[in-house]
Amino acid sequence: MTTGATTTRMPRNERPLVRRRQWLPGAMGVAIALAFAALAVLNLLPLIWGVLTSLKAETDLFRFPPVIFDFTPTLANYERVIASGFLGNMKMSLFYSAVTVAATLALALPAAYAFDRFDFPLRGPLFLLVVASIPLSLGAAALLIPNYLYFTRLGLTNAWFTLPLIYTAHQLPMAIWIMKGTIEGIPRELDEAAIADGASRFDVLRFVILPLSRPAMGAAGVLTFVGSWNEFVAGSVMVDSPGLRPVQPAIYNFIGFFGREWGPLTASATLAIVPILIAFALLGRLIVSGLTKGSVKG
Amino acid sequence: MHSRRAGLIYIVPAFALLGLVLFSPVFYGFWFSLFRIQYGAPTDFIGIGNFMRLLDDPALGGTVRRSAVFAAAAVVLTVAISLALAVWIHKLGERRGFIVQMIVIVPWIISTVVATLLFRWVFVNDIGLALSLARWAGLGEIRILNDPTLAMGLLIAVSVWKRIGYAVIILLAGLKSIPDDYEEAARIDGATGWQVFRRITLPLLKTPLLLVTIVLTLSNLNTVETPLVLTGGGPGDATRILPMDVFDRAFVTYDLGSATALALVMFFGNILLVLAYVRLARWKA
Repeated sequence: MTTGATTTRMPRNERPLVRRRQWLPGAMGVAIALAFAALAVLNLLPLIWGVLTSLKAETDLFRFPPVIFDFTPTLANYERVIASGFLGNMKMSLFYSAVTVAATLALALPAAYAFDRFDFPLRGPLFLLVVASIPLSLGAAALLIPNYLYFTRLGLTNAWFTLPLIYTAHQLPMAIWIMKGTIEGIPRELDEAAIADGASRFDVLRFVILPLSRPAMGAAGVLTFVGSWNEFVAGSVMVDSPGLRPVQPAIYNFIGFFGREWGPLTASATLAIVPILIAFALLGRLIVSGLTKGSVKG
Repeated sequence: MHSRRAGLIYIVPAFALLGLVLFSPVFYGFWFSLFRIQYGAPTDFIGIGNFMRLLDDPALGGTVRRSAVFAAAAVVLTVAISLALAVWIHKLGERRGFIVQMIVIVPWIISTVVATLLFRWVFVNDIGLALSLARWAGLGEIRILNDPTLAMGLLIAVSVWKRIGYAVIILLAGLKSIPDDYEEAARIDGATGWQVFRRITLPLLKTPLLLVTIVLTLSNLNTVETPLVLTGGGPGDATRILPMDVFDRAFVTYDLGSATALALVMFFGNILLVLAYVRLARWKA
């Protein structure tokens, strides 16, 4: 490998870029590689084992030592979960998440546009409030009780719009922040050219900013979808009728209902992961870039 | 420029919603907390009575202490492990690095309820995979959930496991924003790998590190689901932390007065963290 002494003699552009691609040397590298192997097992094993468990009959579940592939797969657990109405919960969550994504993007884009391109009274403090709201909605446990009392008072609980309303408010600040970052990078000359051609400020949003913000909208959209689909606390207290119950509280109820029957429990968990894994497989890159741009939400 | 108010039209819908869901409930909650609550409705004005009642609660001190220990341990471990992983992934190159990132983020992307449930099934349950293998290997019976210390350790472990992916991605973005020239220049001057990390990488990573620390602290101090699904707060009260306590007071024992008071105390703790976050996020308007 090239040493420091030889590198310095080489012209700058010919110096091989080994440094960046090199594995860490020695014991440290081995330790980190081992740590990563452990992490890969820790991260993927519960998923894989959960799916396998969901396909096992009760007798195979209690076999000892545990069997990996040597069993007859059955859909019985899925049938039981579906008989308990789980598909209805999934349908509701899909509806809540879709409405939330649409509402979040529709509200965030104009707001981000205004914060970047307009000058209006209190712009600075209001944007500060948006930034502060990003981590604030992480503190849903603290916000939940006041939120519950207030919504009960206003009669906004237990309706089809209750959860989309709350989820949109939780995701909106992050979406505004991500989109403003992208709009900052769109040259103002484009706006000016459009306006010189007779476009209104709204036309600029519609025909210049919107098309060029698609990647940011994708990133904010997929994070919003994941956040709404995975939400538990508001979903479990803001609506009570079973027909409105989203997926996560439904799974939590199954824990009480099925008790130690891990077959149906893992079947419901598997079903709940499917939409997330699809989003992840198709839009994984956007999730990473959204998180990076948003740098928010643990 | 037409009127200076033109821009306001574009933000009014967003702020109307934030006002309804995030901001006004706080004021309403504070007003509500000053009353005696019966059957979910305020009856007579008692001032700070609900807050005083919290101070008289002998169990609350323990809950606060446990929450602090839990959050501190979870955050420190998450940041340390994520930093090591991020530095390693950064050296892997574009494609391999991306695959590793994808694996790292899996527990973050699935819901806390499902992730915790599956973790419990595989690693904690007595007929689950890990303990079956341990028994089979002759390690005997391990009953994690019956031992207060082990149960708290497990709660911390699950919390770290769940949130590493998030921290790795933010720290990785921080690492990528450091120009390569800095490291090269230091190397040419004879710096070792450790010196480069200690004197160049770490100082330049200060902002993302602090940001991650704040977000992780907030998210750990507000997680209801992790203890609820993993341990139910047990054994005894060994893993009962503040957010779960608030949730229980409000929706299990229906003591909305003390739940609201405690939620507001937590909320003001959150505000302090949020202020630190805002300073670091370097907002520009």
